[in-house]
Amino acid sequence: MKKLATLRSSMPTSARLLFTLLLTIVALGITFSLTALDDSKLAGGAAIAIVIVGLSWLIGWSGQVSLGNSGFMAIGAYATAIWANHHATTPVVFTLLLATICGAAGGLVLALPSTRLRGPYLAGMTLAFSFAITPLALNFPSVTGGSGGLFLNFLSAPKWFANLFSGSQALIRANAQWSADVAIVVAAVAFFFMANLFHSRTGRAMRLIRDNDVAAELTGVNLQRTRTLAFVISAAYAGLGGSLLTLLTGSVSPQTYSLPLSILLLTLMVLGGIGTLSGAVLGGLIYSYSDNLVSLINKVTGISSASTFGANLKGIVFGVLLILTMLLAPRGLVGMGGRLLSLVKRRSAES
Amino acid sequence: MGSFLSSRIITVLLGGISSGVVIALVALSLVIIWKSTHVLNFAQGAMGMLAAFVGMNLVFKGVNYWLCLVISLAMGLVVGGITERVLIRPLYGKPEINPIVVMVGFLGVIEAAIPSIWKSNFNAVPAPFSQIYYQSHGHTILVSPFVIYQVALALGVMGAVALLFQYTDLGLQMRAAALAPEVSRLLGVRVNRLLTLGWILSSGVGALAAVIVSSGQSLAPTNMDGIFVSAFIAAAVGGLESPLGAITGGLLIGITESFILNYWSTNMAPLAGVIVLVISLAIRPQGIFTRNVTRRV
Repeated sequence: MKKLATLRSSMPTSARLLFTLLLTIVALGITFSLTALDDSKLAGGAAIAIVIVGLSWLIGWSGQVSLGNSGFMAIGAYATAIWANHHATTPVVFTLLLATICGAAGGLVLALPSTRLRGPYLAGMTLAFSFAITPLALNFPSVTGGSGGLFLNFLSAPKWFANLFSGSQALIRANAQWSADVAIVVAAVAFFFMANLFHSRTGRAMRLIRDNDVAAELTGVNLQRTRTLAFVISAAYAGLGGSLLTLLTGSVSPQTYSLPLSILLLTLMVLGGIGTLSGAVLGGLIYSYSDNLVSLINKVTGISSASTFGANLKGIVFGVLLILTMLLAPRGLVGMGGRLLSLVKRRSAES
Repeated sequence: MGSFLSSRIITVLLGGISSGVVIALVALSLVIIWKSTHVLNFAQGAMGMLAAFVGMNLVFKGVNYWLCLVISLAMGLVVGGITERVLIRPLYGKPEINPIVVMVGFLGVIEAAIPSIWKSNFNAVPAPFSQIYYQSHGHTILVSPFVIYQVALALGVMGAVALLFQYTDLGLQMRAAALAPEVSRLLGVRVNRLLTLGWILSSGVGALAAVIVSSGQSLAPTNMDGIFVSAFIAAAVGGLESPLGAITGGLLIGITESFILNYWSTNMAPLAGVIVLVISLAIRPQGIFTRNVTRRV
C-alpha cells in the first residue's frame, strides 16, 4: 500500500496508466459474463461516457457551459458514416481518429468567436449551434442522406474473436461483446488522456481561470488560448463519442443529435458529478440502464409506457433529477459518495 | 404602388418585420430577467408555451379567444413568480452555471410534461382576425388584419413595459434594484420582492409572445424553441442589458432570417442567427447599444 502511494507521487503518469490498465482488464473480464443485451448497452454507455467526460472537463474545469456537444457528436458521427461509406476497409482506429479531428475542427470554428464570451453568452451561442445542426444536416441531403440519415457496417467481431463463441446465437453474442470491448478500450484511452490533462499545466491553468480569471491573467495564463483549448478538447471528445456510437449502431440520423441529447448529456454529467472522471463513468452507466430505470418507474407507479405520459416519462424524470441535483447536491453522486465516506471515516475515528 | 408592395423584396421584408417583432418581444423578456437577476432564462420560451397551453386550450372548449389570452397572461405571471421563488432563489450567490443548468433542466421538464398533460391535441388555435391578405390593384400584399394584430399586440406590450420602467415608481425601484441592490436596500427598496416581480413581469411577456406565436397555428410545446434561440441572439446582439438593443436585435434577426429562408433555404435560417451573432460579437462584443463596461476585479 505504501509502495503504491510512493509510485503515485513519484511517477503519476505511470501510476495512472497502471490504474487504467487494471480497470480496463477488469471491465473486459466483466463483459465475458454479460448477456449480449447488456454488452451492447454497456458499449453505448462507454461511448456516451467519453462525451460526458469531455463536457465535464469543459464545465467543471474551465467553467464554460456548452449546450452544443450534441452538435459536435453529430459532426463526428457524420464524418464516420461518410468516410466508412467510401473507404470500407479502413481500420477502426483510423476512423475514430478522423472523427475526433473533425469534432475538434468544428469546436475550433465555434470556439474562436465564442470563448471571448462569458457564461450565459457562451451557453446561448452553443444552444444556437445545437439548434442549427439538424436543419443543416437536412439541407445537404446529397452528403448527409437527408432526414433518413446514413447507414454503414457496424462493428463486427473479427474471425479469431468470433471463434471463441459457440452454441446458440454465437455470432450475435460475439458481435455484442466485441463492440463492448472495443468501446471500453477506446473509453479507457480517452479517460487516461483526460486524467493526465486534469493534472497537467493546462488543467491547473484552467481551474485558475474558472475561479478567478483576472488572477489567472496576472500570473501569465493566456485566457483566450486556454479557453479555446478547453473548448476544442471537449468538442474532440464529443466527436469521438459520436463516432463510436455510429460505429456501434451502424447508422446516423439528424434527429438523434438535437437539443434533447445535449440536455441529456448535461443531466448525466451533473448526476455523476461535475468535473470528475468517476462521475463521467457513472453518467455513462446511468445512460446504459436509463431505459431500465424508466421501466422500473413505470412498474412502481403503474404508468403505462404506451400512454403519452409514459412516453415522455424519461424526459420528465431526467429533467427533475437535473434540477434536484443542482439545487440539493450540486456535486452529484460522486460528491454524495465522498461525503458519505468522510462521514463514515469520522465516525470510526471517534469510536 | 400595389406592384411595389407585392414585390418579392418588400414581401420578404414585411415577413421579417412581423416575425422580428415577436422575436424582439421575447428578447425583451430575457433582458428584463437578465437585468434584475443576472440569469439567462433558458426555459423562457417553454414557460411561455406552458402558460399558453393552459389558456389557449380553453379555446377548444368554446371559451372566448380574448378571455383565453387573459388567462394565458395570468398563468404566465404565476409561472414566473413560482419559478423565481422555487428554482432561482436558492441559487443566488452560487456559480453562474448553476441557474443555467437548472433552467435547462426546467426546459426539458416542461417540454416533456406538456404533451403528457394535454395529450396530442395540436389543433390550430383560431385566429381572432381575418387571415386573408390585403389586395391592392390586383396585387396581393402579404399583410392581413391578423398580421397587423400580431404586430400591434407585440408593440403594445413593449410600449407598456417601457412605460412601466420609465414613468412609474415601481419601474424606478426595479431599475434601482437591478443597478445597485445594496444601496437600494439601504434606501428602503424591497429588493427581493422586486427580483420576483421582474420574473413575474418577464414571464407574463413571454406568455403573451407564446399566444401571439400560437394563434392561427397549432399549439405545440416546441412552438417557441426556434423563437427563443433567435431571441437570445437578438438580446446578445443588443448586449443583454439594453431593452432597446434587444428590440433592434430582434428586428435585425427577423429580417435576416426572412431573407435567408426566402432566398436560400428554410433549413439555413437557424444558421443565419449563429452567423449574425458571430459577426456582431466580433465587431461589438459589448452589444450595439451598451457602453463599454469595465469588469470588476
